[in-house]
Amino acid sequence: MRPKNELALLPKLPLLITESADEFGALCDAFEREIKPRGIIEQMYVHDICSIVWEILRLRRCKVVIINSTFRTALEHLLVQLLKKPSQYDYQVEGEARALAQSWFTDQEAKKQVSETLSRFDLDEAAIEAEAIRRSSSDLELLDRMLTSLESRRNKAFGCVAEYRASLAHQLRESADRIIDGKDVLQLEHPSDKRSTAA
Amino acid sequence: MASERQLAANRRNARKSTGPRSGAGKTRASRNAYRHGLTLSITSTAEYAKQLETLVCKIAGDTKDPVKLERARAIAQADLELTQVRRAKVAPIERASAFGELDPPGPTVSQMIRLLNAFQRGRLIDPKPIDASATMPPQEPDRSAEAIRRVLPELCKLERYERRAAARRDRAVVNFVVEQSEHNL
Repeated sequence: MRPKNELALLPKLPLLITESADEFGALCDAFEREIKPRGIIEQMYVHDICSIVWEILRLRRCKVVIINSTFRTALEHLLVQLLKKPSQYDYQVEGEARALAQSWFTDQEAKKQVSETLSRFDLDEAAIEAEAIRRSSSDLELLDRMLTSLESRRNKAFGCVAEYRASLAHQLRESADRIIDGKDVLQLEHPSDKRSTAA
Repeated sequence: MASERQLAANRRNARKSTGPRSGAGKTRASRNAYRHGLTLSITSTAEYAKQLETLVCKIAGDTKDPVKLERARAIAQADLELTQVRRAKVAPIERASAFGELDPPGPTVSQMIRLLNAFQRGRLIDPKPIDASATMPPQEPDRSAEAIRRVLPELCKLERYERRAAARRDRAVVNFVVEQSEHNL
């Protein structure tokens, strides 16, 4: 169970208006069940891990959507190359390619026609995906750089929790050793000794 | 180890790059820190100062030790800065999702050519403003993804600040733990 009082002290992660606060809460609960943070500092790290993971998920979603949204343009570009005869210019087949690419998403007949055109050049639908990735490579590169940075920070945060726990355990062990050795035990003066000294 | 000649060259080059010289340049450079406010001290607002003190008390516990309190303050400050950067990362995505772009788009090349041609013919056209939000996908999650794509360079810059704040927080935690163990000895 989450220590609500400690969590309330930590600043809330700002979410996009389209993102669900409940889903983020569920993610935090899952991590807290797993890590079982003790104290505000561990709680801080867990909160940090949740925020990083949430952002990773956001960017991964974005990556998929970017590739998907480039699909139509990629297919159109590919079809222009495939439909064009050696004596033709691009603009002469652009109309046909655009119409075919448009109907590829909804029309089975168009899908079949595209597949046939692709197979004539020993290609399949993976070529469309590859072209979509190529066309959005500059955005994907930036996204990947951000994802790599976030993933390394998430791993570092996991390491920090472990390190903090280990140092805390070390301190507790040392304190316990001192108590066992009697170094930290308060030497109380016996009341009878005090009386005798006063006398 | 650099040679005498290299050192002299370094000094000569350093003298060439001493920041802005013109009045306009100096004015512009003096406002560098205000572009996003991420380098501002977090205690500059009363609300943050209150949040900071609450967090400091929670981290440090009921101690009166000024060193321990200072170490706890460093942790709390870095953690709040981390949230501030995260907020700054969400804001441009929201803006791009609502308006299509962060800055209003200028006229396109073809529009400029049309304007110049019309001007040469002695006519003045009032160009229609471009509605960048109309170029956004209408539905989610495509709209948010497109907004993120459009502000990716800004997000990358903010990522640097976030990394720095996280590193500062981690260092502060290590210092706090060291201070605590020295105190216990």
